[in-house]
Parts: sequence; C-alpha cells; structure tokens
Amino acid sequence: MDLYQWLLALHVTGAFLLLGGGVVAAILNLTALGRERPSEIVLLFGLIRVAVASILIGSVLALVFGLWLVHEAGYGYGDGWVVAALVLFVLGNAMGGAGGRRDERTAVFARELATAGDAPSAELRARVHDPVSLALSYGSGLILVAILALMIWKPGT
Amino acid sequence: MLALLRPDSWNLPLFLHVFGAIVVFGATATLAIAGFASRRNAEHDALLARTIARAFILGVLPSWILMRIGAEWIRGKEFPGGADEPGWIGVGYIVSDGSALLLIVTGILAGLSARRGRVMLAVPILATICVLGFAVAWFAMSGKP
Repeated sequence: MDLYQWLLALHVTGAFLLLGGGVVAAILNLTALGRERPSEIVLLFGLIRVAVASILIGSVLALVFGLWLVHEAGYGYGDGWVVAALVLFVLGNAMGGAGGRRDERTAVFARELATAGDAPSAELRARVHDPVSLALSYGSGLILVAILALMIWKPGT
Repeated sequence: MLALLRPDSWNLPLFLHVFGAIVVFGATATLAIAGFASRRNAEHDALLARTIARAFILGVLPSWILMRIGAEWIRGKEFPGGADEPGWIGVGYIVSDGSALLLIVTGILAGLSARRGRVMLAVPILATICVLGFAVAWFAMSGKP
C-alpha cells in the first residue's frame, strides 16, 4: 500500500468509528426514550459513553487523515466541498457536544433518583425527552451523514 | 493528482454501500456492548436482552441488506461481468458472507435471549467477531492493497 492508500484507509477507519459510534448512541438513546426507571436510564446513558469514546477517536482520525488526504490527493483546502465538509464537521461536533452535555446532566439526575428509591419521575422523563437535547444529538448525526455524502459526491470536482 | 475520479453514476450505490456498512457496524457493536454489559448488570439483563433483539431486527438486518445491495450495485458498475476483480473484492465477499452466517446465529440467540430475559454470552462474542471482521473489510476495501 502506498501513502495515499494508507491515508484513505485510516480516514475511512475514522469515519466508521465516528458514524458507527453515532449509531450505537442513537440505538441506546432510543431505548432510553421508552424507559421509566432511573436505574435503566443510568445504565443506557452510561453505555453511551462507550459510543462517545468511539466518536471522539473517529473524529480525530477522520479530520487529521482527511486533511492530509486533501493535500496528498491534490485537492485544494479552498475547494467548495472541502470547506463545506469542515464547516459541517465543526457544526456537527458542536451540536453533538452540546447535546451530550445535556444528556450527562440528565444521567447525573437519574443516578440521584436511582439511589433514592429508583421510582419513575415525571421530571426525569421530561429531561430524557427534552426536544432540544434530541434535536442537537440527532441533528448532529444527520450532519455527519451529509458529510459522508459530500465525501462521496465531492461536488464541484 | 493521485485521487481517482469515478463516474457520477457510481456515487449513489457507493453511498448506500458505505452507509449500510457503517450502520451494520454500529448496530452490531451495540449487540456486543449491551451483551457484555449484561454480565455486570444482572438486574437489567431483560432490558438489555430486548435492546439487543430490537437492535438486531431494526438495525443489523436492514443495514446488512442495504450494504450488500449497494455492494452488488457498485460491483456491477465497476467490474461489469465480474472480469478482472481485484483481491480486495474477495475480502469484501468473505467478510460479507461470513458475517451473514454469524449474524443469523447471533440473531437467533438474541431472540432466544429476549424470550428468556437473559443475554446468552455467545451473543456479544459473535457480535465482536463480526465487528472485527467489518474492520478488516473496510480497511481492505478503502486501502485496496
């Protein structure tokens, strides 16, 4: 394998870890939406941390090797599809991070309820179903899919 | 310029193939994560068993089919008639067909686990083997050694 092939393989590995982690987080989050007991929410949100680790590692790999690939493959950093992908990448990460921080606060609240009797709570249910958190997290996922489409179609090339 | 330009007509099947592969990777990883978590959370074993069964039916199964349809579609365009196929195509088929067998067994065990309310240890182990196989496939198919 030459340098270009290695860079592409590592870039794609990053994309799989990033988007695949998003899929794991989405499945566990969707499951949490249907649960009532605080200890169940704690468990499911806790497992999402594994997905977050995959997302973080994937983000770094995809970005570093993606930027290197742009140079190695002879594209320009000012090309429209590259700029669009970078803007969406920053936006997607910001939205995912903000949604994740809100979910983390929900997990802390759920942990408190779990240790205090583990009874279902309307407040916890409202936080798990918080439309802002859901919009941030799932919007971030949609942006990542849009980046994948940009990477394949490369409009303007 | 080293980058390979491909015809526009290849983009949609390639997108569907890669998107399906990513979702099947994530959904299968969920089976592994939830399955191993059930060993340390006996209280929530039934919940995790149901989560695994649903992730299999609603995530793994449709995304594997999408991945495979996209693969056949792009292969038909890139190598019409199957002539002169490189080795990395073979790696893709080995992983794809092998994972299909493993995933069918995993799905059956996931269904049984959901009915019993307890995750069988084989479920996360088989799912992990599939995840590792997917990693080999995406590395071979993107690096094309």
